[in-house]
Amino acid sequence: MAKDTASATQKQSFEEFCHQAFDPTKEFSKPEALKGVRVLSCTQYILGPSCASYLAELGAEVIKIEAPRRGEAMRHTTPFNEPFLYPLSRWVPERGTGLGFLGANPNEYFISVDFHRPEGQAIVKKLAAKSDVMVENYRPGTFDRWGIGYRQMKEINPRLVYCWLGGFGGWGPGRVRASYDILGQSQGGNFGMTGKQEFLGGAPSKHTIWLADYWGGMMGAVQILAALYWRDKVSGEGTFTEYSQVHGVTRQLEYALPLYGRHGITRQRWGNWDTQLCVHGIIKCGKSSYPGSENPQESEEGYILISAYTDEDFARLCKVVGDVKMAEKYAKTENRVKAQSQMEIYPWLEKWAADKTKEQVAEIMDKANINNQPVWNAKEVANHPHWVQRGAVRWLDDPTFGELLHQGPAYKMSATPPRLKWALKPVGADNELILGKLAGLSTEELRRLEEQECI
Amino acid sequence: MDTPKVPSWPAIPIAKPEEVYAGLSDQAKDYPLYLESITRQEKNFEKPEALALLRVLDCTTSMMIGHWCSSQLSELGAEVIQVEPPGGDPLRKLTPFGRKEYMFKDKESGEEVGGQFLHEMRNKLSVTLNLETEEGREILKKLVVHSDVVIENGTPGQWDAWGIGYRQLREINPRLIYCWVGQRGQWGPLKDKPGMLEPTAQAACGFVHGTGDPKEFGGQPTRSALWMADHVGGTSAAMGILAAVLYRNNVSGEGQFIEATSAEAIIRILDYSWAWYSMDGSIRPRYGNWDLAINIYAVNPCKDGYMMVGGGHDRLWYRIWRTVGDEQPAVEEDILGDLHLRDVTERLAHDMQVKTYTMLGEWLKDNPRSEAERKLSKQQVASGGVLYVNEVAEYPHFKYRGHVAECDSPHYGKILYGTTPFLQHKTPGRLKWLGRPVGYDNEDVYRRLLGFNRDDFARLSQTGVTHEEEEEEEL
Repeated sequence: MAKDTASATQKQSFEEFCHQAFDPTKEFSKPEALKGVRVLSCTQYILGPSCASYLAELGAEVIKIEAPRRGEAMRHTTPFNEPFLYPLSRWVPERGTGLGFLGANPNEYFISVDFHRPEGQAIVKKLAAKSDVMVENYRPGTFDRWGIGYRQMKEINPRLVYCWLGGFGGWGPGRVRASYDILGQSQGGNFGMTGKQEFLGGAPSKHTIWLADYWGGMMGAVQILAALYWRDKVSGEGTFTEYSQVHGVTRQLEYALPLYGRHGITRQRWGNWDTQLCVHGIIKCGKSSYPGSENPQESEEGYILISAYTDEDFARLCKVVGDVKMAEKYAKTENRVKAQSQMEIYPWLEKWAADKTKEQVAEIMDKANINNQPVWNAKEVANHPHWVQRGAVRWLDDPTFGELLHQGPAYKMSATPPRLKWALKPVGADNELILGKLAGLSTEELRRLEEQECI
Repeated sequence: MDTPKVPSWPAIPIAKPEEVYAGLSDQAKDYPLYLESITRQEKNFEKPEALALLRVLDCTTSMMIGHWCSSQLSELGAEVIQVEPPGGDPLRKLTPFGRKEYMFKDKESGEEVGGQFLHEMRNKLSVTLNLETEEGREILKKLVVHSDVVIENGTPGQWDAWGIGYRQLREINPRLIYCWVGQRGQWGPLKDKPGMLEPTAQAACGFVHGTGDPKEFGGQPTRSALWMADHVGGTSAAMGILAAVLYRNNVSGEGQFIEATSAEAIIRILDYSWAWYSMDGSIRPRYGNWDLAINIYAVNPCKDGYMMVGGGHDRLWYRIWRTVGDEQPAVEEDILGDLHLRDVTERLAHDMQVKTYTMLGEWLKDNPRSEAERKLSKQQVASGGVLYVNEVAEYPHFKYRGHVAECDSPHYGKILYGTTPFLQHKTPGRLKWLGRPVGYDNEDVYRRLLGFNRDDFARLSQTGVTHEEEEEEEL
């Protein structure tokens, strides 16, 4: 039988095989990679929560602990104070839940415990005793002071992987400094290098996503998985991990540090072009793809990435543009990639694209077999059949908030795919389930603790 | 021409613990000193490595996502064998503005490599193998027998057509975790749009459209200076690989097929963009250095550059204005008197953000970054200047903790680099070496794993399997 199946799959085209192996609609018919791993997430904002949520996508039982009643701050942030998810929040009845929370907490169980109170701390200890991982992002030393930090938890549960994530780390001259994503970007170095060139009037530019947070959370998850591997396969012991988001950003500066160390040169902004390749940059197309739209996001001109950095590709590009002189002048890679050359080449391309939309440019480039990628906005991405078919963006029937368009997991696995179950739940929604199951609290105790605002 | 003299790093000496913790009580010192004692990178080599038992074949070329993925694993101790085509990965040749003088030269052979490639080749072994030859593919199959993970980024279906795709390699090694990485994916309507380098993924996922100033302020869609989506995509691939390893070890005994793309990694972390669009058709706009969903939380110009100040909730909000009010009481009064700025979410409206930052700018324009940070830090407000690379390299806190360090490479001399952020008590990440010349480890890897002898090496070199066929090209 196995042979038949094997030969049947061989006959399939490779694309069909991949589609079947990674089909987002089949995720729930497959097992979960981290089933049986319990994670305690004592986190707020994005860095810590997202770290735990990546594990929750993989099937870990993630229990998120929030402050009673109002819950964590991200529930109350939303772009321009406009969109809110309903139903109304139980504790802030005048409005619903903000969208800032989305993407950082899917698939989790939500309980509320006041960490300040001895009774709350006792509950956290009970949960930690039965957990594999604890993720925490309070200011360094706070949990230690409350008696629920690594030093205490490793005595209660030596197998616990305790992961602290935050801004500057818990030791060193800057240890007391608070941090947010945008501070991580500012101080880590990627902010100052991003944006339009200084001599063209540009300024440093923020990455629109909370990159140091969301990507930092991934880094934390990688480290946790490695620690679990070492625990399960080698030692049986847990560990403490410390992730500084500023440190993470500094790690990703590519050639900037080696260049500075060797030559004393500080890497500068180079806008939408590339410092190492040419042509490999984003250019402006003169026409909007949606000229009649009232939405400024659509009515503005289009942009497209054109990539023709090899000599052959550049020659083809010149043919498309119809310019023999440029083809001769910049035939060689080493001539094209110089700063002065780029200053001439990109405006030349923009002049050519001045009467075209980004789709028209893409079509011309596709025909000439030249790499390109239009700059898509959120609407174009959300509706693109490629992303829809792959489940990168998908409709979710959320048990609390109803139908929502939501991002899928960042990567695909054939045997144990990460998946999306729910986006979020109200504060303390799972108190009864989790605290009854793991902390042995009776209905009566739960009611009393709730009245005292301890949960 | 005289080469300008470059000061050695660090220009300012690294602080000593007694300076850093001077004046603190024993109780206040206790916790940071404890953390320092268990996570300091100087102690790394007294400790084991988390992934020491894992062997990874990174067969990706001409793209950063795979290299980034495998360097995370190699920092955590995996034996990563970088399989390069003869002559090396084309990325080795990249250098800013084509300037050869910025490349790093092997002391013995004079072979050059660019800083970006070198920075990601940490702890990896370099072997060369021409997968376009039948014999090269046979050798790869033999390596796969000994490996836990293989990472590749061929054009969609290429490896399958070559007979070394997931469908074939799983027969050779059922425990193998096979990971394909790329920009947009190997199936779906865009699969045949050629894969290429970042910022392809950034442009394809909504990131570039949403980054930079609004058009009204002279802004345009903006890419990250870095090949950032490859970094995020690489980390997400590493996450998938480790989860698959855990599942294999603990549950199934079998490997699986993984696919990670840079674009989808960013789609995953574009927070509320998708839900917001589905609710009322809103398209995530560019909002410059301000934040759509938090106020105060922005970078604005100050006296000597750009300054981040952040404090979304009430406690920090009032502390920020108290700090400003020390110098400009009228500003504090105006802000605190504005009814529309009293509630934390009402402050998020666009008009309110304009008012907030206009007023804050009044104060920032008289304060340089260091002063603003000193004053706000006294109130425990998160703040700090936008730093440039030279400032990052010399930043006292980073130097003390070793975020930036110098590696003395046997091949390339001293190299400044960004260290691994995987600090840990028991099995920390670490740097063992930073990059190797092309094919430096052929001898070791092929002898140790496949038992090649002198004759094999000579033959493979001549047939173009491990080395470029230079003579033939000349004929």
